[in-house]
Amino acid sequence: MTELSKADMPIAEQKGNSVPLPGARAHEHLRNFPPPETWDSHVEYDAKAHPRKVPHTYSLIPTVCFNCESSCGLLAYVDHEDLSIKKFEGNPAHPGSRGRNCAKGPATINQVKDPDRILHPLRRVGERGSGKFERVSWEEALSDIASRIRKAIIENRRDEVMYHVGRPGEDGFVERVLQAWGVDGHNSHTNVCSSGGRTGYTHWMGFDRPSPDYANAKTIVLLSSHLETGHYFNPHAQRIMEAKQNGAKVVVLDLRLSNTASHADLWISPWPGSEGVIFLAVASYLLRTRKIDAEYMRRWVNWQTYLERLHPDVPRDDFEAFLDRLTQDYAQYTFEYAADIAKIPVAQIEQFAEYVADAGTRLATHTWRSAAAGNLGGWQITRSLFFLNVLTGSVGTVGGTHPNGWDKFIAHFPEMPPPNDIWSEKLWPLEYPLATNEMSILLPHLLKDGRGRLEVYFSRVYNPIWVNPDGFNWIETLTDEHLVGLHVALTPTWSESATFADYVLPMGHASERHDTMSFETHTSKWIAFRQPVTRVAMEQHGVPYRDSRDANPGEVWEENEFWFELSWQIDPDGSLGIRQWFESKERPGQRMTQDEYYDILFSRSVPGLPEAAAEQGLTPLRYMRKYGVFEVARDQYRLDERVLSDAELEGALPDERGVLRKHVTLDSQPPLVGEAGVVGVQHPDGSKTAGWLTPSRKLELFSSTLAEWGWEDQATPGYIESHVAATNIDRDADEFVLMPNFRLPTLIHTRSGNAKYLNEISNTHPLWMNAADAADMGIATGDLVRVNTEIGHFVARAWATEAIRPGVVGLSHHMGRWTQEGHPGSRWVMGKVRLSSDDGVWKLRYTDRIRPFTSDDPDSERIYWDDPGVHQNLAFPVQPDPVSGMHCWHQKVRLEKAHPDDEYGDVVVDAKRAREVYRRWLEMTRPGPGPGGRRRPEFLMRHVTPKRAAYQISETGGAVAERGEQ
Amino acid sequence: MQYGFAIDQRTCIGCHACTVACKTEHEVPLGQFRTWVKYVDSGTFPDTTRSFGVMRCNHCTDAPCVKICPTTALFKREDGIVDFDNERCIGCKSCMQACPYDAIYIDADTNTAAKCNMCAHRVDEGLEPACVVVCPTHSIWVGDLHDKDSGIAKLVSTNETAVRSPEQNTGPNVFYLGADRAVLDPLAAPVQGTYIWAEPDAQRLLTAGDLPGDPVTGARTTLNTAHPRPWGWKVVTYLWTKGLGAGAIAVAALAILLGINLGGLGETAAPILAIFGAATTGALLIWDLKRPERFWFLFLKSNFSSWLVWGAYVLAAFTGGALLWLIAAHGDVGWLETFLAWAAIPVAAMMAGYTAFLFGQAEGRDLWQSPVLFWHLQAQAVMAGAGALGVIALFAGTEGRPLTFLAGAFTLGTAAYLVISLVELFGAHPSRAASVASHVITKGRYARLFWAGSMLPAAIALVLGAIAWGTGGAVALAIGGLLVQPALLAYESAFVRAGQDVPLS
Repeated sequence: MTELSKADMPIAEQKGNSVPLPGARAHEHLRNFPPPETWDSHVEYDAKAHPRKVPHTYSLIPTVCFNCESSCGLLAYVDHEDLSIKKFEGNPAHPGSRGRNCAKGPATINQVKDPDRILHPLRRVGERGSGKFERVSWEEALSDIASRIRKAIIENRRDEVMYHVGRPGEDGFVERVLQAWGVDGHNSHTNVCSSGGRTGYTHWMGFDRPSPDYANAKTIVLLSSHLETGHYFNPHAQRIMEAKQNGAKVVVLDLRLSNTASHADLWISPWPGSEGVIFLAVASYLLRTRKIDAEYMRRWVNWQTYLERLHPDVPRDDFEAFLDRLTQDYAQYTFEYAADIAKIPVAQIEQFAEYVADAGTRLATHTWRSAAAGNLGGWQITRSLFFLNVLTGSVGTVGGTHPNGWDKFIAHFPEMPPPNDIWSEKLWPLEYPLATNEMSILLPHLLKDGRGRLEVYFSRVYNPIWVNPDGFNWIETLTDEHLVGLHVALTPTWSESATFADYVLPMGHASERHDTMSFETHTSKWIAFRQPVTRVAMEQHGVPYRDSRDANPGEVWEENEFWFELSWQIDPDGSLGIRQWFESKERPGQRMTQDEYYDILFSRSVPGLPEAAAEQGLTPLRYMRKYGVFEVARDQYRLDERVLSDAELEGALPDERGVLRKHVTLDSQPPLVGEAGVVGVQHPDGSKTAGWLTPSRKLELFSSTLAEWGWEDQATPGYIESHVAATNIDRDADEFVLMPNFRLPTLIHTRSGNAKYLNEISNTHPLWMNAADAADMGIATGDLVRVNTEIGHFVARAWATEAIRPGVVGLSHHMGRWTQEGHPGSRWVMGKVRLSSDDGVWKLRYTDRIRPFTSDDPDSERIYWDDPGVHQNLAFPVQPDPVSGMHCWHQKVRLEKAHPDDEYGDVVVDAKRAREVYRRWLEMTRPGPGPGGRRRPEFLMRHVTPKRAAYQISETGGAVAERGEQ
Repeated sequence: MQYGFAIDQRTCIGCHACTVACKTEHEVPLGQFRTWVKYVDSGTFPDTTRSFGVMRCNHCTDAPCVKICPTTALFKREDGIVDFDNERCIGCKSCMQACPYDAIYIDADTNTAAKCNMCAHRVDEGLEPACVVVCPTHSIWVGDLHDKDSGIAKLVSTNETAVRSPEQNTGPNVFYLGADRAVLDPLAAPVQGTYIWAEPDAQRLLTAGDLPGDPVTGARTTLNTAHPRPWGWKVVTYLWTKGLGAGAIAVAALAILLGINLGGLGETAAPILAIFGAATTGALLIWDLKRPERFWFLFLKSNFSSWLVWGAYVLAAFTGGALLWLIAAHGDVGWLETFLAWAAIPVAAMMAGYTAFLFGQAEGRDLWQSPVLFWHLQAQAVMAGAGALGVIALFAGTEGRPLTFLAGAFTLGTAAYLVISLVELFGAHPSRAASVASHVITKGRYARLFWAGSMLPAAIALVLGAIAWGTGGAVALAIGGLLVQPALLAYESAFVRAGQDVPLS
């Protein structure tokens, strides 16, 4: 920041034995947080009684926000009088959020006090999807669910139990549970989220996420809107704006004028899908002007492989020849060529190239969703972006872009169940061997195709019917009891999907549960602790409790205790070998408590924490309960150069590429990312360092993996024409590209619908349409527009604006919320609809908008918004990228004025047609198995990795076999 | 000492964290905001820009809300914070008219005025306001502007800053760094149909066309909050009843002083009209309070810098005087009648005219700050009062000199009303906001109401009054007297609404 902000006087680096408080500051007489010494008993005067002095005494108990993924710290103010939560502020001890929050942090109190939240376990009455529920006891629900899972395990239908998670909000806990059960059942939301980002990064560095060191950058390139949303909005925004104050240039590529773009030094709004060409043009410029870090490339890029595979005529050790060939190979990407494809001025690319070249090794780039998630081949956009970091040597440097793994710390429980040995084709179909994550968007299609069934399906903080494309196929699948035996929705609040569940089980919000979390918010490895704050306060005050249900509203539980109890009931006598992993060490034969679990975790799995706690005279668990966070390491740069210790090298031998491998067997379990047994790389100079997690342990300019798995034509950073490239859009026929997935700073998916203070800020979503396009079509702001997709249409309201490029229309995420007449729902945000289907043609029409309602909260009668929005995702077919598996969000649409019978919010979809589109995209794949009969490259990130044997398509396939000392 | 805010729009990301942290700190009802973020888009693609502005109370050095507040519910602390005590507030909403920044609202839970008080309950304990703590980019600074070594003072003194509506001379203590003029100037960026992710309220949409905007940038507001008009028909109506009562008694008093015997008109009709006017005014005034049961705070917790308080005393004195008048007239207490006639002139003038001083304190309503408003109110009172007596005169059979006296007063009052109306609306305006409001009355939304509803009937009444003055025609006077009553209501309606239609944020 500027010199002035040094008046900021951070109280952070305190001497003595006090804990670091990176978010604490004081300006003259005022400080931003009460000192931690007072957190157990902090007196604050009633804001509403002011100026009368009415004191309240609070315990300030740290927890972690559960809205977006950033995991910012919160301090809950728990009133000593009745142990109720008054409000949430930031946690100054948190290194990522540094005591600050976005709007969604303080709005957590709305979610906790939501009069419409689910307070008791519910079981459906009548048909599934009838919307009728009755209260059941936790015991009844657990017993039913556990017996089904037990049966599936015993009958070796271990791919029929599925845990489908939207926002994980925790690291490693449920994965350990699933591993203990021995099921292959971890499903994620990633293919509607970030597979396009992950795939691009993975084939460069093995790690699937970037961690830009924004604060120290000279040039920042954002393909997304990190000043307003996303991973990791608040922590990133802080550091981006600090860098900008220090003179950094910010380049934003976004089709619309986002709030982030409004702060850019250069805003580029290219034709969707052309972003990669722009990066390649900049790469070409860097190469031909040699504004590259050649020595970095010589050591860390697998350029010999590049020469071997693409230029076998060149001696494989001639680095200069490599640079010449590389320059030639990218010479076609001129500024003019890129500007033509992107439909932007050449000058913008020139300016961009200058900013990149000026940055040296302080170039921080970032893409996660946006273009990478919007376009067919979006993963190549990511790969092309990171190419700029590789060329400039700004990888892992101060101000450069790091892999997430250097800035993230997952604490694993010291005792882990053995890996399972099965492979679910419903999660990892053979057509998508390179998909970074489970093919979750295809689940309804895979089940309808007869690829299996599910005995128990958990949807957890996940709203599959709403968030996924092709929601009507989800409805058809979830209502088919042959395909889905039991649907259990674990959710704090009503969603479109929860009404299609058999059990709706209320789980806690940010202040009502235990989790540990860590994210690569900056150059720091921190671990944060989410807590059921009322339960913690009860403990402080000696109030007895059984578990978090005694502290939470109604019978709301925390998931950890639920999973422990469910696991126990699956294996009550321990005969399946499951129960042991949930048994108390202190009290054999009894269930482990959360206190015991985290006591062990924090004592044994978090380096440095026991010592830091001891300095405070606290146990590690007490330390985490008090401060809510611990920083394991910070400012770690260039860990690729980390010299391996003798212990790490023990038993490791270099292969022909210098990759240092240890002996592994078919029973070995690969790590989350990387190959089993591989520890690093030996360089030509003899040094042995950690390197990367790719098969070569180098940055892979030429990806052997892509080449070997059928994508040799895409093995290097390149341009794949998007399904919505300009050449595929007939503008004369009123065709447009629809950008349906941009988010707003105040909302988070459908999960924030119960936060009144957020709803009142953002409560409609007009269809952004360039003013010139609107004028051409005779459409004015407020007019109803019919948006036709390949499988149907929806009706939205237009906004003629200068904030989006011509040829593109945009409709934000979050809105389009509904519940059927007579079904439960969240009245803050949902309209009432009538759903009908006729031979696969589904219709959704609103019969009532959002209205004020009476509740314990007088604000519910003051609701002044009425627009539930348009549930556009229903009208999208699945469009899985054949490599990454990413659902390509951009839609080719045809716009027309609304028909006379159209009403706002209408959605009409032919679900059978959606099946055909699925098959068409399926044909674009190049199915496995890959080399040696493997289902998937071993180094790719995978949750709950099974034994290596499971990667093999058949027991007899040999190639995966033993490796290492052979 | 003067606590203030500096808001660095160069780093503000428009995230609304301040808005929500404030709302949770103070449990502010839905639809009401102590601080909020305004968005303005400007320019055309691809050179489109978006600017943010964090809006809130300016903790003015010379705070008009404090001056106008009748019960000192709003007050300025030693440390410069403009604070409020909702236990003293009667909900008169005058502070909302005084504030040129849209910073004050009537809390839906307490029905009392509320606004940013810089989290005084926290500041008292050495803690920053909630919005400062939460801000991701530390774009909100708080501190003592008078302490030149403070962070905020250095920031403000070494950077170019701007304040909202400096022309109001309130001494705002919220300083903006790097703010777009179009965000700070409430007239620069009218809404165009919709906001970016919320729906504009009816008032914004209604008034968008009134604003000049910026023909070069085409700046348009793409996010803002609702600020409905605080005062409506009750205030419009009491402006009429007050004028009518004051005018009736003033005309009767003048007659006595000129030695003209109005008979029953002066002895009974005038004081009854005065009592009626005063009672109705008082009733409407109390009815318009959001905490009517606290109306007596006006007298018990009087803030004598507030013209609302003086108005209440005038209203009381006027009512008492009118009662005495009735007693004196019917008890034949001659000396008292003469005394009351002398006293009635200034008291009635204040009864009619204190509103000019009250409106003058409404710093947020430039239209109302007119220097001729006091005289306009006098003319209105004479016109309405004499007109009402003229109607009664027809039934009382008044004729001769008393009638021509009444007709003369009526004619002169009406003529003055017309002339001052036109001077007020077509004369030079002290500010752009006043021009906008005048334009809305004379050429815009209220033009029909103004011309056809007020000027035309008043002009006809003027002719009828002149005829009656010349001929002693009671019917002409009665018709004229009848015509001006709705004409005055129509004028007040346009004047009161238009004044509040000019956006302040």
